[in-house]
Amino acid sequence: MKLLTHNMLTSHVKGVTKGYPLLIKATEVKVNEVDFNPQFVTRMIPKLEWSALVQAAEELGQRQDLPDELVPEYENNEEFLKKVHRVLLEVEVIEGCLRCPESGREFPISRGIPNMLLNEDEV
Amino acid sequence: MMEEAASQLERDHVHSVYDKIAPYFNDSRYKAWPKVRQFLLDLQPGSIVADIGCGNGKYLHINKEVFKLGCDVCRPLVDFAWSQGHEVQMCDGLHLPYRDGCFDAVLSIAVIHHLSTKERRIRAIKEMARTLQVGGRIMIYVWAMEQKRRKFEKQDIFVPWNPNPHSPSGFNAEHATPRRRAAAQSASEAIDNTDKHRKVRSTSSVADEEDLSCTAPQQSTQRLWFFSRSLDSVFDFGSLSVSRSSSRDLSTLSSPTGENEANKVSRRGRRQGLIKQVSSFFYPPSAIGSEEDVFDSAPGLNKGPNDPGGNNNATTTTTNNNNGTENQSVSVSLAQECGSLALPDLVPFLKQSGDESRGGLQGEEQQQSTRSPQGSEGQAEGSCLRYYHVFREGELAELIENHVEELHVKHSYFDHANWCVVAEKVQVWRI
Repeated sequence: MKLLTHNMLTSHVKGVTKGYPLLIKATEVKVNEVDFNPQFVTRMIPKLEWSALVQAAEELGQRQDLPDELVPEYENNEEFLKKVHRVLLEVEVIEGCLRCPESGREFPISRGIPNMLLNEDEV
Repeated sequence: MMEEAASQLERDHVHSVYDKIAPYFNDSRYKAWPKVRQFLLDLQPGSIVADIGCGNGKYLHINKEVFKLGCDVCRPLVDFAWSQGHEVQMCDGLHLPYRDGCFDAVLSIAVIHHLSTKERRIRAIKEMARTLQVGGRIMIYVWAMEQKRRKFEKQDIFVPWNPNPHSPSGFNAEHATPRRRAAAQSASEAIDNTDKHRKVRSTSSVADEEDLSCTAPQQSTQRLWFFSRSLDSVFDFGSLSVSRSSSRDLSTLSSPTGENEANKVSRRGRRQGLIKQVSSFFYPPSAIGSEEDVFDSAPGLNKGPNDPGGNNNATTTTTNNNNGTENQSVSVSLAQECGSLALPDLVPFLKQSGDESRGGLQGEEQQQSTRSPQGSEGQAEGSCLRYYHVFREGELAELIENHVEELHVKHSYFDHANWCVVAEKVQVWRI
């Protein structure tokens, strides 16, 4: 699971209103090399919940010097874009779980795949 | 009550079937539909797209400029998609784990026809609409009731799985090469697959196509589909009992297994009994002698005059002696070959590669002319019946127009035996 994916995921347990962002507990993390496409990253940024990304990177110990807030005019800031590229697309959780911040319910991640299936009593 | 029956039906005849047949889905016949490919290629660079019900991820490699993620309930298929380097999750289409408005586009290709009630199909569409940005688009493909020159007789059907349609098949080279993860073999290995030959085929590169079609274990000829009544019509407006006519139909099943079914049912608790009654009602053995009979155009079928939604085959003679447990109550002695008819999810086999646009008619005819050399034998895999609600013309668009106000239908068309809709998410104002 990449952090770009994580940014879209939310807890959908019945009754939960504050299920986002999911807290990450990782037991295995990989960092891959992915081709850097500055235009792609620039276009992704407005679609992100920025603070959720920073929090997730922090939880994985991969934040490095990612700022709390978006820097102005990031489109032209290649150094910044590269940092964003790294946390969005290169960092990957292979094993661990995602925890609902409200209910505590844990969704396992195994073999890189989060299992978000709910039980009968949770729907 | 209906919810439970619906989930049970889908568990038995969608989820568990796909779990079993997942290894066969890496077949080159299951290519991307060209219009779906085009929809993806037309997206703005930097878009985020979700393929809901992505299966083995065959659409997830298209267009490197957009971020794609996929999800499905079937673990083996999702594992395979991951092994190809895609971002995928396990989840259920009725409860999507994505925040509101986070996608620029959504795909639902050959998915919602597996949902067994109209209400669930609407809920699935609404869930996908929820995750779409305003202005974002969804593309939905579902099997059409109306096929070339004929149509399915009923809308709610069971289709047996045939892993060996007559077109030779090999592993799609497109998927064979980019095995970016060490777990590439995980999909095949993880699955309890007793058919070693198949296992080899699904991981080898395109080769020995002639061999495969000759030496592959011969699948028994199978009935194409079994008619059922929609769950929507079985339940009498919220009443908990199965409607009278359907009970009557159940008791007129002439198969010994049908009687056993009724006996078994009476011994169980009412709630379970209802589910069993309902699901066993979907296995009516029918004497259908030829391929044409399953369609509207055939004279041979014994139709009840005033019962459009019902099971018209209540008075069939069952020639089937092979019914074992309640999950295998499938009539198998009918000489009908599943593979001789192109099903809507197969791209017809083409002699020349790459010529997908002409493939429709040509491929279907090819498939029809080839017959398996062997006659019917043994047992059809009753547990490998996939449930489908096939859609009539206009049904999908109407469903959206009448029940999903947050989507506006933009395009509606027929493509390779599927009804297709492209719809756009709009802002709905509430006062």
